[in-house]
Amino acid sequence: MLREVKERLFLCGIAVAAVLTVMPLFHIIYTVAVEGIPVLMKAGLNFLTDTLAPPGEGLGGIGPAIFGTLVITTLASLLGLPVAVITGVYAAEYPESIIGRLTRTLLTIMMEFPTILVGLFVMQILVIPMGSYSAIAGALALALVMMPYVAVYTEEAFRNIPFTYREAAFSLGLSRFKVVFRVLAGMARKGMVTGMLIGMAKVAGETAPLLFTAGGSNRIYFAGLDKPVGAVPLLIYNLIQQPYENYHEIAWGASLVLLLIFLAVFLPLRLSLKEVRL
Amino acid sequence: MRDPFKISLLPFCALVFGIFTLMVAVYFTASLPVFQKEGIHIYITNVWIAVEDNPEGEFYGVLAAIYGSVYTSILAVLIALPLSIGFAVFVIDYAPQKIKEPLIVITDIMAGLPTIIYGIWGVFVLVPILRDYVMRPLYENFSFIPLFSFEPAGGYSYLTAGVLLGIMVTPFASSIIREGYRMVPFTYREAVFSLGATRYEVTKILLGYIKPVIVASILLAFGRAVGETVAVSLVVGNTFNIHPSLFAPGYTISSLIANQFGDAFIYGYMVSALFAAGLFLFVIGLIVNIGGLIILKRYVYAKGG
Repeated sequence: MLREVKERLFLCGIAVAAVLTVMPLFHIIYTVAVEGIPVLMKAGLNFLTDTLAPPGEGLGGIGPAIFGTLVITTLASLLGLPVAVITGVYAAEYPESIIGRLTRTLLTIMMEFPTILVGLFVMQILVIPMGSYSAIAGALALALVMMPYVAVYTEEAFRNIPFTYREAAFSLGLSRFKVVFRVLAGMARKGMVTGMLIGMAKVAGETAPLLFTAGGSNRIYFAGLDKPVGAVPLLIYNLIQQPYENYHEIAWGASLVLLLIFLAVFLPLRLSLKEVRL
Repeated sequence: MRDPFKISLLPFCALVFGIFTLMVAVYFTASLPVFQKEGIHIYITNVWIAVEDNPEGEFYGVLAAIYGSVYTSILAVLIALPLSIGFAVFVIDYAPQKIKEPLIVITDIMAGLPTIIYGIWGVFVLVPILRDYVMRPLYENFSFIPLFSFEPAGGYSYLTAGVLLGIMVTPFASSIIREGYRMVPFTYREAVFSLGATRYEVTKILLGYIKPVIVASILLAFGRAVGETVAVSLVVGNTFNIHPSLFAPGYTISSLIANQFGDAFIYGYMVSALFAAGLFLFVIGLIVNIGGLIILKRYVYAKGG
């Protein structure tokens, strides 16, 4: 009898836990949609291109922030992807060597590293010497956050290639360069691209590493790589903390835009895979 | 060396190690001034005296932030643990085939969702809900219990931050537990069922079998929670406060850095104090994450995964 009661309670318990785990996402999407759609309707397409409205009147747009996010994500990819891919290849090619093992461990640790600390670090080595927040500093911070994801995905993609392909390529008399970058890289392409896209989707939504590096810019689109630049998450973070009603509305609108971009990149990617690491 | 391939790849690995070493070095050198001035007091006192033009009069102690970081992260783990275990068991053993995959996709979306979206939801939705339906009733009826003893004014508190963090780390923790639970050999399950055990008893035994994975997921989830910045800084209240009550506002290390760093440069020692706080976070994060990863790796080796 008691066992049966326990059984019932247990089944109810895990069902409730499962529902409670996923429910917040539905509520978040619902809230962002309910609060964000009216803002987008009111501001129209100009919301994506206009500059920020003054406090207390109107909506304007989040153009500079969207543009800034594009600029620093692209720059971060240019800085981070080559290093990440090659490091990943190294860890996959020499898994037993000390450096290979250390690299792998370091990458896994960096993946879990608090991103605010990356921002602080870049501030100290780049922003202070340059004397100003800048797009390049923001991009470097994001590159450091992105790198471990891409490297770990690359490593796994290479390691999942059956050994016979490697043997076959070597038996043709190809050099190791050609084996890895001509033959194996083609086969690992899907995994590598996935890693890159996940890394980019991840950093495009990051706020903490940009706080003291990108600086933010709400009215000027782009003044140069060595000047402050905006970013959508950063804009939302700053607007929430303002007391103005219209700024909160803009924050909801910007959140909706960010959410849609994230889902548009992430969902197809996730559905094409069995599992992801985040 | 005879391996030109290896040699040409090495500089990139060296670069990654170099960046990491530089990072450690920067944290040490930048926090040195405040260590020289205050010694260990930076970590064991709760004071924040910032005066302009008089560096000698400044004094910083970040104990409140350390306390808040640990408090909110423990809350987050306490919330995330039952949820993530329940979710993992449900998805693997009981969910109908049709909704299994969608449920996993949903948690993956949650794990990757930009944290600022959790933040805006936390400020405008979670704070008022917790304040009106949880904190006020508990305070009004049970304020003699120390945990509930602080009058919840704005709703910004350890509890709010802990709940938000719990929601954010649950998908991550459950993905680790899910992998471990899935690896349990099917014969074990059969064997326990054949003894006439109920489903509850079977799950209890199997969860005992993956105990190391659960411990690792606790550590890694704690590491995530302790490093989270923007969502927490929006809901934790940002007050120098060491209070046992769940409803009191406080600080965390990352929200302290996020809040104070912008203006820190006009003071003599504040930047250094914030780097010292960052160093502490650095060390906690490193210990917790390495611990979690080692436990996980050992388990996978031992069970031949």
